[in-house]
This record gives sequence, structure tokens and C-alpha cells, in this order.
Amino acid sequence: MRLERLVVVVFSVFAASVLVGCDGGSGGGGDDGGGSGEGSSKEGGGTTGGASGEITVFAASSLTDAFEDLAGRFEERNPGTTVRPSYAGSSELLAQIQQGAPADVFASASETLMDKAVEEDLVGEPAEFARNRPVVIVPADNPAGIEEFQDLATADGRYVLAEEGVPIADYAAEVLANADAEYGVGFEQAVLDKIASREANVRAAANRIALGEADATFVYQSDVTQDIEDRVRAIEVPEDVNVIAAYPIATVADSQNPELAQAWVDLVLGEDGQRVLEEYGFEPAAG
Amino acid sequence: MKRRRKTAGGRDVLATGFAVGALALLAGFVSLPLLSLVVWTVNERAWAAMASPEAVDALLLSAKTTAVTLAVLILVGTPAAYVLARAEFRGKRLINSLVDIPVVLPPSAAGIALLLAFGRLGLLGEHLRVFGIELAFTTAAVVIAELFVAAPFYVRQAVTGFGEVDRELEEAAQVDGADKMTAFFRITVPLAFPALVAGAVTAWARALGEFGATIIFAGSFRGVTQTIPLAIFAAFEKDFDASVALSVLVLGFAFTVILTVRYLSRRATEYEG
Repeated sequence: MRLERLVVVVFSVFAASVLVGCDGGSGGGGDDGGGSGEGSSKEGGGTTGGASGEITVFAASSLTDAFEDLAGRFEERNPGTTVRPSYAGSSELLAQIQQGAPADVFASASETLMDKAVEEDLVGEPAEFARNRPVVIVPADNPAGIEEFQDLATADGRYVLAEEGVPIADYAAEVLANADAEYGVGFEQAVLDKIASREANVRAAANRIALGEADATFVYQSDVTQDIEDRVRAIEVPEDVNVIAAYPIATVADSQNPELAQAWVDLVLGEDGQRVLEEYGFEPAAG
Repeated sequence: MKRRRKTAGGRDVLATGFAVGALALLAGFVSLPLLSLVVWTVNERAWAAMASPEAVDALLLSAKTTAVTLAVLILVGTPAAYVLARAEFRGKRLINSLVDIPVVLPPSAAGIALLLAFGRLGLLGEHLRVFGIELAFTTAAVVIAELFVAAPFYVRQAVTGFGEVDRELEEAAQVDGADKMTAFFRITVPLAFPALVAGAVTAWARALGEFGATIIFAGSFRGVTQTIPLAIFAAFEKDFDASVALSVLVLGFAFTVILTVRYLSRRATEYEG
């Protein structure tokens, strides 16, 4: 009996602290990492500013290969630094940043999502660093016989698409709406009706095709990487219905290492970064 | 003597204090997150999200798939567990450990394994496809994933439960003219009933929480394969309030089911006994 009462007391103390905690600003991430190597030399603004430590880069999953490459170069160029990339659908990354995840840089596949982050003062001034183009991919053996974009509406197949809110899904929705206007009403619905699964991000969708589990999906042209290029076939989206994906990047306002975060942004926007992105199938940002 | 008893008493107090402290810590540790969920729901306008079509679809699908999973599990798992508890045969040890493997396998690994078995290009899936049967991305795939991860929890408890039933009681019933089936249903099952219920509840809870294997093997589509855990994950990216609402919803659902089962099974055993 007494034990029960004690548990109740403990429970209510916890309850009270939760209630109190709700009013007090819950913003402080209370992160203890990083702080040790505060940049002692402030002179250089470039990539080799002498900053050290660790940064976490939140990047759209379509950036996986390009940023992996860039992370190696960054660490080489700035000895003593570590880049921790975290790839996911841009919408998931934004949700995590909203919840106080310890990110230093946010690279999004969608301007809309970046704008949201700016509105909520979660990030600094964003800059566009790359562009990309949606394409349709089908398995190499193409069981549904999808030869061109227009076949999507008529083929007997089952498709996957990233979760609503993930940039590629929003771009695909735009493309399908355009196609509706171009090829006749019903095109969009016919395609949507064949979707069997919503995937967490664009790479998850691409893998469903590479595995042959689904017949078609929308990805970016840069997603047809060496890893999957012999297992899938890319089908261009006709120019008149396609859209262009713009990728903005920004430092995160709560960054524990803003100097190093800025150095990463500089690298991506700089000549080397742009060259690497191009190698991985991205198009340069608009002028 | 007296002195010794006294020191033992002191140690008892210390041990009791430690145990009570540990319990309080555990209770606090579990209740804090649950409470935070509820508090958020009250503060924000997340209540509305609970009645959203997405939430209702997810809850119905979860209720449906876990019910089917449990039915299949009881139907197949009960006799299988009885054999494991009673019979001696070659390879029993192997089967015993085989049954337990899904418990230690991370559900995401289970999802990959299921995909490689029942997927389009899977060992079995490839042949099923010839007959026009495609399992991946269907509600059936959700049930398969739930069965795979939940089965050991029921079977293990059932084996233990049957093992504790005195064999002589079964034999006595048979001597009195009952056939094997009658003895099983009249003697063995009632005596093992608490263990069977406990196993069923654990398995059901595991099935309800299934995420990794489902999202990999069954995919995620509203009303077809998007169970509550998947809906929470999908909502987390779009609408945090909705993901909180769904979490509270599943908390309430699980709580209600488990309390009901506890109540019913207590009444049933009281009646039997």
C-alpha cells in the first residue's frame, strides 16, 4: 500500500515537472558537443579558416553520393574536422530541425521547405546551389512495358512514389498536373491509381525499382547512380510537362559550429563543389 | 543472535529502499514520455487530428491486421506449441531455436528477409507471381510481417504453459474415456489458459507495434498497408500534431484492449477455478 502511494507521488512529481517544462522555453537543445575547438583564428572566411570540430550536415537524400564525396574533400582540406552527413527526405529533415535536432547545415531539395525553415527562423540566408530534373525510372527488364512517359497512364503496372511532402513527390504531382493539361484529363488520376506504396524518400523509391518490386517511380536524373544504373532504365519526362528542382542550402541558426557550417556552404557553392555536383548529375544553379 | 538479526534488518531496509527507488525510477521513466504525449495533445489542437480520415484508416487497418494475425497465430501456434511441449523428436532443438529467431532479429532485417522470400523476385514470390499472386504492397503482406515478428512471443509462452500442465491429468482424462482432442480442450487448454492469454497479449502488442518489417516488405499506402506505426512515421514529416494524435490514439487503443483482455481472462479463470 505504501509502495503504491510512493509510486503515485513520483508520478505526480514527474507530471508537475512536465507541465512546468511546457511553459518554460523548450528550445535549448542542451548540446554539449563541439565547443572545445572554438575557432581561434578569425582571419580567413574561406574553407580553410582554421576552424575545427564537427558539423552535422542535413541533406536531401538525392544528395547522398555527391555530399559523401564532398565530405571527404572537406575533411582533407580542413584537418581535424569531421563532417557527419545525415540523409533523408527534405521534409523529414525539416521536421527534425523543427524538433531541435543538432544540425549545422540544411541542404534541401525544395525551395518551399527551405522557405518554411526561413520563416521559422531555423536557418540563415539560403542560397541555391544546384538544380535537378525529375525523370521516371523503370526496372531494366521493364515488366510493365513502359517505353515513354505517356505509357505511365495506360501501362498495367504498379508504381511507388515518395511520401507526400517529400520534394520529389511534390515535383511529380506538378509534372502529373501538367500532363493532365497536356495529354488529357484523367492522366494524373490514372497514374496515381497505380501507386502501391509511398516511400520515405527518393532513394527508397529508387531502390524499389532497382529491386524490381515496382514498375515505375519518379526520381531525379542524378539518382540514376552507378549503383543502380544497370538495374534501371530512365525515361525522360517531356520538356513541356517537366519541372526543375532547385536545391537551396543554408546554415542552421542553432549551429554549435557556425564557422565550420559556413565553410561547408562555401565549399558547396564554390568552384570545386559545383564541379563535384555536376559530376554526380546535378545541373548548375541559376545564374 | 539479537544483534545479528538487527544488522540483517538494517540490510533489509537498505535493500527495500533500493528496490523501491528502482521501481519509482522505472515508473517515472515510463510515465514521463506517455504523460508528455497526453500533455501535448491537451495543449495543442491535436485532438482534431485523431478523427482525421488518415488516422481512422490507420487505426482500422491496424485493428484488422492484428486481429487476423492473432487468429492465425492461435490456430497454428497452439497445436505447434503443444507438439513442442510434449513430443520428443529429432531436430526439436533446431526447431525450438528457429521459432525464437524472429525475437532477436531486428524487424528491418526481417523485412528484407520477407522481401527476398515473398517479394516479386523472391524465392517463393517469383513462383507465386506465375499464378498472379503478388504479396508485396498488399494488406496480406502486413499480416505476414506481423506474424513473422509476433509468432515467437505466443508460441514460447504457450510451450511453457503446456509444459506446466501435469501430463497425468491428461492421461487420467483419457483413462476416463475422453479422446485426445477432448482431453486437450477440456483439461490442457483450460489449465494453460493464463499462459496462452499472456502469450496472445504480448504477441498482439508486438504485432500492433510492428514497423520495420512492414515498411520494408509491405510498403506504406493509406488504407492498404499504412498501419498506425507507419502513419505516425509519415505524419512526423508533414504534421507533427497529427503524429502526436496518432500516438495517443494507439496508446489508448492498446491500453483498452489489454485491460479488457486482463479483465475477461481473470473472470474466465475465476469461473474455471
